[in-house]
Amino acid sequence: MKRYVLRRVALAIPTLFLVSVIVFAMMRLMPGDVATRMVEGHAYAPTLAALRKDLGLDRPVYIQYAEWISGIVLRGDFGNSYWTRQPIWDEFVRRFPVTLELAVLTIIVSVVIGVLVGIVSAVRQDTASDYIGRILAIMALSVPYFGLAVLVVVLPSIYFKWTPVWTYAPLTRDPLENLKIMVVPALVFGVTRAGPIMRIMRSSLLDVLRQEYIRTAWSKGLSERTIVLRHALKNALIPVISLIGLQMPLYIGGSVIIEAIFRLPGVGLFFFEALNKLDYPVVQSVNLIIAAMVVGLNLLIDLSYAFLDPRIRYR
Amino acid sequence: MRFWTRASAIDRSSGASTAPSDPGIARAKPALEYTVPPARITSLPPRTRPWYADVWIQMLRKKPLGTIGGVIVVVMLTAAVLADIVSPYGFAQTSLRERFIVMNGAHWLGTDQLGRDLLTRLIYGARISLYVGFGAVLIGCVLATAIGVLSAYFGGRFDLWLQRGVDAWMAFPPLLLLMSIMSLLGPTVWNITAVLGVAFGIQNSRIVRGVALSIKEYTYVEGARALGSGHLRITMGHILPNVLPTIIVVATTGLSTVILTEVSLSFLGLGVPPPYPTWGGMLSLAGLDHMYQAPWLAIWPAVALSLAVFGFNMLGDALRDLLDPRLKGG
Repeated sequence: MKRYVLRRVALAIPTLFLVSVIVFAMMRLMPGDVATRMVEGHAYAPTLAALRKDLGLDRPVYIQYAEWISGIVLRGDFGNSYWTRQPIWDEFVRRFPVTLELAVLTIIVSVVIGVLVGIVSAVRQDTASDYIGRILAIMALSVPYFGLAVLVVVLPSIYFKWTPVWTYAPLTRDPLENLKIMVVPALVFGVTRAGPIMRIMRSSLLDVLRQEYIRTAWSKGLSERTIVLRHALKNALIPVISLIGLQMPLYIGGSVIIEAIFRLPGVGLFFFEALNKLDYPVVQSVNLIIAAMVVGLNLLIDLSYAFLDPRIRYR
Repeated sequence: MRFWTRASAIDRSSGASTAPSDPGIARAKPALEYTVPPARITSLPPRTRPWYADVWIQMLRKKPLGTIGGVIVVVMLTAAVLADIVSPYGFAQTSLRERFIVMNGAHWLGTDQLGRDLLTRLIYGARISLYVGFGAVLIGCVLATAIGVLSAYFGGRFDLWLQRGVDAWMAFPPLLLLMSIMSLLGPTVWNITAVLGVAFGIQNSRIVRGVALSIKEYTYVEGARALGSGHLRITMGHILPNVLPTIIVVATTGLSTVILTEVSLSFLGLGVPPPYPTWGGMLSLAGLDHMYQAPWLAIWPAVALSLAVFGFNMLGDALRDLLDPRLKGG
């Protein structure tokens, strides 16, 4: 187990290196010049050359890369924003809780809905409730979350005079107010993400329920509740967990749009605003941090299988 | 790196229930694993028709949802291709006296803040979504096949490094990466199609590689090599035709994702710029103020998009089940 973890961590290093090269190359080699925009549109510096020198854009690209990456590795310094000159890491840390809370709530919503409906669908296979569950899953798969989000913002305000809360309150200061703000975005996002979970939960539970050990459990005279919830569910959850793991990038990518619609001051909005201003260091570093998180999370999820199914061993 | 490495890591010696055929083990693998055997169409009636005709007949008989999806796709495709003929107005044709009409005989789905006909704009929007969707999937499939087949065929260090590159690419949330690239390249139809195609190709090269890896081990490939065939002949003549069904499955199931991504980019203002109508642009935050006055401005694009995604999903699922039963359940 220990060797497996070490090997996986070692394999993650070249991946992260390539990730950093990809983001850097992308931001520096493609057209679109932030310096021109800063001087012409906003008069940040007297001349273009002066600003370029100030931002370090006049040096060779490989030196810029070396500086960026050594700052991160050696000092944990992710650089400063071009526009505000504030450290990126501080801003990221300030905004990350919002995105994390949104992601956690979304996952809770989608897993609760998806797993519950999936269980009902599988246990009552080919009954009316199964069909309703499957139709719901297909609907959830088809309706795009941002379309639903726009409708949720617009329609209730017209017909019920209800609008989502726009002013954000941090969780630590006012938990109740915060939850009121987060619950609608999380519901919208979670409901649309529940579709795939429902489907995979149903098919995997059906699969497990036909296994020998479940028949044994029936013949021991256990109740259906015990069999489904205690014997079958744990094994049936493995594909669900791997699905959530594989979809993690989608949760994070989607949070950009959800945060933009509901005006949540999270990492997604930070990224989006930086992108519109061509703030290279911010886009680069946020991309890198998030990719590193995805890599780490995948590792954690792989390790969690051992807990769910002791038959899985690592070498 | 991911789940599929574990197929070999499962300890088959422990416990009585770990026979290779145990569904518990089968389940622990992902739907799309490295070594999917080459797809074949099994249990079809004797060959009196070409195989693609069989697929459609099976679809009509056994897959009602797939058929509905197919009908939606065909209707959308026809409307998009014939947009200039079927749409009642021009997509940028404004009429200030007819602003914010809900629905009437002249404007079936109403008009927007400039009096532009919504149905017309939806039809032209379908055109963008479908052009970008099909174009990107085409580019992506070519790229996925090239990367996947080459990586599997040559193996070794080449494979190892290429796959680390794919790993690195897949560590990014796709939307963040695409947003970054689009904001730099600038929003045009070609840029979006190319960028989405490259992303789609890299992501799906894994699946193609897995299939190609197993085909490479078949005796007919070995036989071809023994007969003196070169790399080109083996890859193009022997491996490629057998990877094709998998590629068709990847393409049909991927279409809805690509279209959704295109719409999300337009939604964020990184897609095809106005005045050309796109579904994402019609739904987007830029028009939010008008939607409070005219909710149908938000409803119809959302409905059109949901229908399209539904159609492509159902058609893709049905085709996957018919073409490659082994990939089922993903």
